[in-house]
Amino acid sequence: MTVFIEDDAPVIVQGMTGHQGMTHTARMLKAGTNIVGGVNPRKAGTSIVFEDASGADVDVPVFATCAEAKASTGAKASVVFVPPRFAKDAVVEAVEAGFEVVVVITEGIPVADSAYFVELALRRGVRIVGPNCPGLMTLPSSADTHGVNLGIIPDGIVARGPLGLVSKSGTLTYQLMGELSDIGFTACLGAGGDPIVGTTLQEALEAFEADPDTKAVMMIGEIGGSAEQDAARWASEHMTKPVVAYIAGFTAPEGKQMGHAGAIVSGGKGTAQDKQEALEAVGIRVGRTPAQAAQYMREALAALG
Amino acid sequence: MDLYEYQARQLLDEQGIDTPRAIFVQRVEDVPQAAETIGYPVVVKAQVKIGHRGQAGGVKIARDRDEAVRAAEQILPMTIHGHRVHGVLIAEAESILHEYYVSISVDRSSRDFDVLATANGGTEVEQIAKEHPESVKRLHISALEDFDRRAATAMAASIGFYHADVDQAADILLKMWKCFHDNDATLVEINPLAKVGDPDDESTKRLCALDAKISLDGNAAFRHDGWTRFDDRATEDPYERKAAEHGLHYVHLDGQVGVIGNGAGLVMSSLDAVSFAGREQGTGVQPANFLDIGGGASADTMCQSLEIVLSDPQVESVLINVYGGITSCEQVALGIIEAIERLNVTKPMVVRFDGNAAAEGLTILADADIPNIHVAATMETAASEAARLAAQAKEETK
Repeated sequence: MTVFIEDDAPVIVQGMTGHQGMTHTARMLKAGTNIVGGVNPRKAGTSIVFEDASGADVDVPVFATCAEAKASTGAKASVVFVPPRFAKDAVVEAVEAGFEVVVVITEGIPVADSAYFVELALRRGVRIVGPNCPGLMTLPSSADTHGVNLGIIPDGIVARGPLGLVSKSGTLTYQLMGELSDIGFTACLGAGGDPIVGTTLQEALEAFEADPDTKAVMMIGEIGGSAEQDAARWASEHMTKPVVAYIAGFTAPEGKQMGHAGAIVSGGKGTAQDKQEALEAVGIRVGRTPAQAAQYMREALAALG
Repeated sequence: MDLYEYQARQLLDEQGIDTPRAIFVQRVEDVPQAAETIGYPVVVKAQVKIGHRGQAGGVKIARDRDEAVRAAEQILPMTIHGHRVHGVLIAEAESILHEYYVSISVDRSSRDFDVLATANGGTEVEQIAKEHPESVKRLHISALEDFDRRAATAMAASIGFYHADVDQAADILLKMWKCFHDNDATLVEINPLAKVGDPDDESTKRLCALDAKISLDGNAAFRHDGWTRFDDRATEDPYERKAAEHGLHYVHLDGQVGVIGNGAGLVMSSLDAVSFAGREQGTGVQPANFLDIGGGASADTMCQSLEIVLSDPQVESVLINVYGGITSCEQVALGIIEAIERLNVTKPMVVRFDGNAAAEGLTILADADIPNIHVAATMETAASEAARLAAQAKEETK
């Protein structure tokens, strides 16, 4: 069983021929992801040679549109590395083409554009991950399949295990993956640091709750908005699996954007303190540091037996 | 990106929303002429990007020249809740008959736009929601749909605008929506939206935006000429300005440990770790800044980052916390060495590397054998060591 997307799912990359796209397409292929095409209307008909996980050459064709790429390759997912000013059109195109999952790595997309493509995706039943996220990584559910690495999460930190991970932050994702690498994961999902994202912390919990192989979930939040409170409320009513949390930004001052567009305490709302209280009120332990959160997770797993 | 009231008024004016006549001034000597142009009595209002300025003494009525000058003399040098007053708005004093509250904002939870209105305006909306929750009406607008006249009229009627005012209120709501949409705003709030005029003369009564708060989406600057017309260089923190010129995410705080890391979450987490360590060690040491070098940072980026962090004279030690994903710890190490040579850094630095090329990075630091570089194995021990060194340096300089 796999969560979010099946093992070996065919994937295309929008913006593959750009600098970021080239770098990360090469990395994703090395990690075993089945990349079957790229999209760039100006380079349609050409192809680019990369190396796959075994070191063999793969000739990846470039298509003019998502619809064409999907029709010729049967791709199930798209990863978007398109710059902010062109991102809305690119994501709308992917949603309309009907991929199951669209992962948007791009940072700096106007929130009105994200609101538009997220709403469109919700209506069409397409899962968007991001924007402004490190991506989605699944670990293979059997020895003869490959997991799917969609985005920029480094390969090789973790192997398959019983944990799910969802996070608003990229490097804290890697940090916690590292802390819990001996236990392993079913999937790690970067929800993204923007005010509006396609898969919220709560929606990730819903998916992990439904996945029989995931036994417990690590959730990493940060200041801004109320996604953590929303997740806490949902978890208290529906979640049967243990959740452990970590929240960043206790020292963040009011009214200052801390790197991520969504990481801002405004009008006294969205503080780390409020989030911690909301989570603890429903019995979710919150680590004071990433290491302590990892320790709480070990204790939660031990309690499961 | 928050706007000052006088800038928010400009955007409302552009949509044809009625605002009191007003002039923005920054020097006391310009106050009399501005006040005479408007006509007494006037309201002298602090221009500052923070709420509750009224309670802090930032808003005063002036009936004549002396009062206006005195008000400006008091308000202009003020710092309100840590924000320096940028100037004063000399505004026409309206005779207020009733105060409403209306706002449109991005709703992060429902992932759409939220129109909020109540007939109990004047105070902060959180306060209103607490005292009169039943009076606050809200309407969600999907990003795929428009806010039309029918919806605006229904909204205006539902909050209790009086008969003749419903059409005018609906008109204002639609203009606010256009202002929100066209300017890529994340918040357009009019509070109070006031019914003003002579209580005995129907013909003088109208709805007028007495105060407004607008926030713009920084990510949308590329389609608005970079918001240059709202450029706020004069009041910006000089370190933050310099960092922005180098494309770095830097936030200036008030502590002693400079913090540099990669990724917003990890840097926030590092700030928290420093603050916890200062509390545990009983020194009260705090982080001096937030600085995210981003993904795939080069040696050059690291060198510029150290330069900015160390230019803050309050900084006594620096914590460098990198988890190499795309970023190579080797590049970061090279940047640290380059910065130390170029800037002749003598302050202690604590480095924690993990992930991509961490071993290579640590080897570079070890080979360089620089006495003020300390290496720590975990983020928690690194933060603790940096806090201890900062407290020690502070003690020595006393």
